Amino acid sequence: MYALNMTDQTIGRTPVPVDTDDLSGLLLRVAELRDKAALAALFSHFGPRIKSMMLKLGSSDAVAEDLVQETFVSVWRKASMYSQQRGAASTWIFTIARNLRIDQLRRQSNKPYEDLDDLDMASDAPLGSSLVEQNQIIERVTKALTSLPVEQQEVVRLSFIHDMPHAQIAETVGIPLGTVKSRLRLAYERLRPMLEDLQ
Amino acid sequence: MTINHHPDITTLMAFSAGTLDEPYAAVVATHLAMSEGGRESLRQINAIGGALLNDEPEAELSNGALDRLLDSLGDEDDRITVTEPAAAQARAADALPLPLQRYIPGGLESVRWKWTGPGVATADLAWGKDGRSRLMLLRVAGGRRVPEHGHGGQELTLILQGAYKDRFGVFAKGDIADHDEDVEHQPIAEPGEDCICLVAVDAKLTFQGRLMRALQPLFGI
Repeated sequence: MYALNMTDQTIGRTPVPVDTDDLSGLLLRVAELRDKAALAALFSHFGPRIKSMMLKLGSSDAVAEDLVQETFVSVWRKASMYSQQRGAASTWIFTIARNLRIDQLRRQSNKPYEDLDDLDMASDAPLGSSLVEQNQIIERVTKALTSLPVEQQEVVRLSFIHDMPHAQIAETVGIPLGTVKSRLRLAYERLRPMLEDLQ
Repeated sequence: MTINHHPDITTLMAFSAGTLDEPYAAVVATHLAMSEGGRESLRQINAIGGALLNDEPEAELSNGALDRLLDSLGDEDDRITVTEPAAAQARAADALPLPLQRYIPGGLESVRWKWTGPGVATADLAWGKDGRSRLMLLRVAGGRRVPEHGHGGQELTLILQGAYKDRFGVFAKGDIADHDEDVEHQPIAEPGEDCICLVAVDAKLTFQGRLMRALQPLFGI
């Protein structure tokens, strides 16, 4: 899959077609083989999506680009900490982008998150589902999310993608804080059966 | 350690989304460090973020973005792994939970308590930013009553040692009390050792009206 149209000058530099069925496999290649072509493939899939997410926070195009770069430098540096326990590649990369967002845009410490990561690394609790299964579950969760009632989708996206605290969501949407929480709860209950398969 | 009281699912969702103010995130992380089941729930909720990222539209990257990335990568040596001290600390049974060690590097023995009422002491923990929320420790002597109080915003209380009882039940080590602003309660420390809690509160609102009066004896403000 990496052999398309590569010349000597562009090896590893040409956007490569991505096998999105196996994003986690690509991440494992980065982790185990330090495979830069696999990193490039992950970049071409997730980079534009992370940029979209960062732009929604009101950051400039240049800042969003920088955050995409930093996300992938972190992916490269931390890949050896990635394992089946960390879930699908999209989940792990989301948490890396989120941690950067806390650090750079929110200007607060993301150490509580990193400490938890260290703890998970130190524990070796087994996980039942394989990476392939986890990727499939993520796809099902994605589909389920898009089939949620619009008002539930809205609060979930404002929280996870637009980085809005619940109180700010209440203000933005013009609903009481309690309603924000009840919509989040309803959304979670709908997704829960799929999420529990991740164990 | 059996944990009976967990954070509200919406609090875990906000933690996973990364939108909690640092004091609240610190309390949730410390609780999760004490709760294997809680970490399992968090892993599941994180998958919501992963699924949403998959579903994001693609914003075009600038020309040469990939080249820029590949050029900036160092060699093998810059990879990050868990440091052995962190892993060892994580395994030490008597140590403070890892996320809390950052805020109390010297351990509970090093805390400078401030007397705030009979049998009650508090200590503010410094965090990176002068935000509107506070991270603090609360120590209540066995059998002592915490003055009745409402909340100016969300209040998260994690029990680190001892136990207390209120109308919601008994809260012991590892339990978290996750209360909205409309909750009023009057915890009483269980007889025996001091009850020590890690608390995140909304500082700004505690200065207002009824709440300020109610919280004054508790927080010494």
